[in-house]
Amino acid sequence: MSTVTQQEGAPAPSRLRARRRDSSARRASDLVLLVPLAVVLLAIIFPVLWMVYSALRPVQDIAAGVSWSTLLDNISLDAFARLFEATNFEQYIVNSLLVCLVGTLCTVIVASLAGFALSRYSFRGRGAMFLLLVATQLLPFVVLITPVYLFFSQLGLLNSYPGIVLVYVAMTLPLAVLLMSGFFNGVPRTLDEAARMDGASTLTVIARVIAPLVWPGIVTVSVTAFIAMWEEFLFAQVFLTDDSLKTAQVGLAGLFGEYGTDWGVVMAASTIAAAPTIILFSFLQRRLVAGVAAGAIKG
Amino acid sequence: MTTRRTSLQAYLLSAPALVIVALLFLFPSIYNVILSLQEISPFQGPGDGEWTGLGNFEYVFGNPEFWSIARNTVFWLTALTVLLRIVFGLALAVALHSPVLRRWKVRGLARTLVLIPWMVPQVVAIASWRWLLDGSSGVLNQVLVGSGLTDSGVAFLAQTSTVWWSIVAIIVWRELPFVVMVLLAGLQSIPDEQYEAASLDGAGGIRAFRSITLPNLRPVLTVVVLVTVIQTFNNFVYVWLTTGGGPGTYTAVLATELYSMAFFANKLGAGAAIGLVMTMIMAVFAVLYMRATRTEDQ
Repeated sequence: MSTVTQQEGAPAPSRLRARRRDSSARRASDLVLLVPLAVVLLAIIFPVLWMVYSALRPVQDIAAGVSWSTLLDNISLDAFARLFEATNFEQYIVNSLLVCLVGTLCTVIVASLAGFALSRYSFRGRGAMFLLLVATQLLPFVVLITPVYLFFSQLGLLNSYPGIVLVYVAMTLPLAVLLMSGFFNGVPRTLDEAARMDGASTLTVIARVIAPLVWPGIVTVSVTAFIAMWEEFLFAQVFLTDDSLKTAQVGLAGLFGEYGTDWGVVMAASTIAAAPTIILFSFLQRRLVAGVAAGAIKG
Repeated sequence: MTTRRTSLQAYLLSAPALVIVALLFLFPSIYNVILSLQEISPFQGPGDGEWTGLGNFEYVFGNPEFWSIARNTVFWLTALTVLLRIVFGLALAVALHSPVLRRWKVRGLARTLVLIPWMVPQVVAIASWRWLLDGSSGVLNQVLVGSGLTDSGVAFLAQTSTVWWSIVAIIVWRELPFVVMVLLAGLQSIPDEQYEAASLDGAGGIRAFRSITLPNLRPVLTVVVLVTVIQTFNNFVYVWLTTGGGPGTYTAVLATELYSMAFFANKLGAGAAIGLVMTMIMAVFAVLYMRATRTEDQ
């Protein structure tokens, strides 16, 4: 065994030369793939780079258009200042943060309870519950807007935080329940049975024994839910018509002027409206992608 | 005795989730059917609707523009963008899967870059593209005019010859990463031995792609097509925030029609009817599609 590896580790000089020639030829042919790929990737990220860059240009530069010679000369936070002066964007961000954080918390708690039930109990209607959760995923969300609007107007939930939080929890809940029950399935039953023997209640078992073990799963569910809520536009647009209640995405959409758009301001607002999702995504990229991919492959 | 108590516990734990799902999915979908048979405006209470039988459906189908709106939704918004996403997504996934990237130590970087459009909210993606495509000072027009390709700026989102291609570009750009990531995961699950065996048999790259890669990816492709079709068909934001359905009603789709009908024309019943039609189209599509892909497998 060791002689074989030694022989392979020290090839004869002629073979070494041959391999070097071989690998340089391969490196040249690699460029046939790498160069076009680099061009495509640059084209893919260009709109985002241009958005941030446009947000950082002073107003006269934006109006004057692109001047390649002075591309990086004037960088300023002027557009952000104009944004906060001219609109209530800071209020919209606070609204979005509030709605999304409360919504995420509710989704995770409600989904954990239901996920635990699906994972640990066999009860009548368990199969039907699974089916219901999967079916809601297929139902077009836009179809719900009319009936839910009338329903909410009756209950006084239009133009209110609780109303939109309820919509957002419902929107993210089905997938969250399915994911949580999957995570709970990964925890051996013997652990919670042992805790029960010691007299712990079901809620204590979930919070003290199971939750710490599936912590990475809970983080994934929270981040996916938060991102989905942060991005949502349609329901926020229809249900929150008071300016003081608007979310960041609705505020951003409202900046498209009827009489000429101040693109510097729109790009500043876009950068802010994209920041939380980009940051969260970068932190959990690998896990989120793995989750999405696994879901699609298993499904 | 214990079993009855434990299943009671299971019901109690599931209750909040079930109540929310029933309140916001189950009940509204049933109520949508009722609404589609009524004449009702957003200023009326839920009980104030007037029964009109199939009046709303007659009204919706009687609109001379209905069929062009339906065609826009099926062809431009959905079929074309899904096809382009699959073609580009497959090409990108195969490129990102190549051992070349690992050899040059750029695999992680390339995969992160390809994800970036996905990290951007849809509304932000639309805003950025509207700025890129802006008729006077947008960067694309600066390049076109600067290089002498056109004499003056092209108003991409305001003229019928370019408006749909612009919307298609925005959708494909924003939604491509999902397809790439899922296909990439599919590629990674194909065992290397199959390719080794094929190359021993003398199969070239294209032959291996057709007889190993594609058949192995079929189940994943099936799911990707199903999910992207349903999501795109029902999407409201892309058209609404780029053109508002314009110029005129040239780019109107069913989802924007539902919204304008319900909240601009104040005909909630007609909006509900469009919603029901959309649900039916997607249900029929899903059933036919799953049947077609299943018989192919046999």
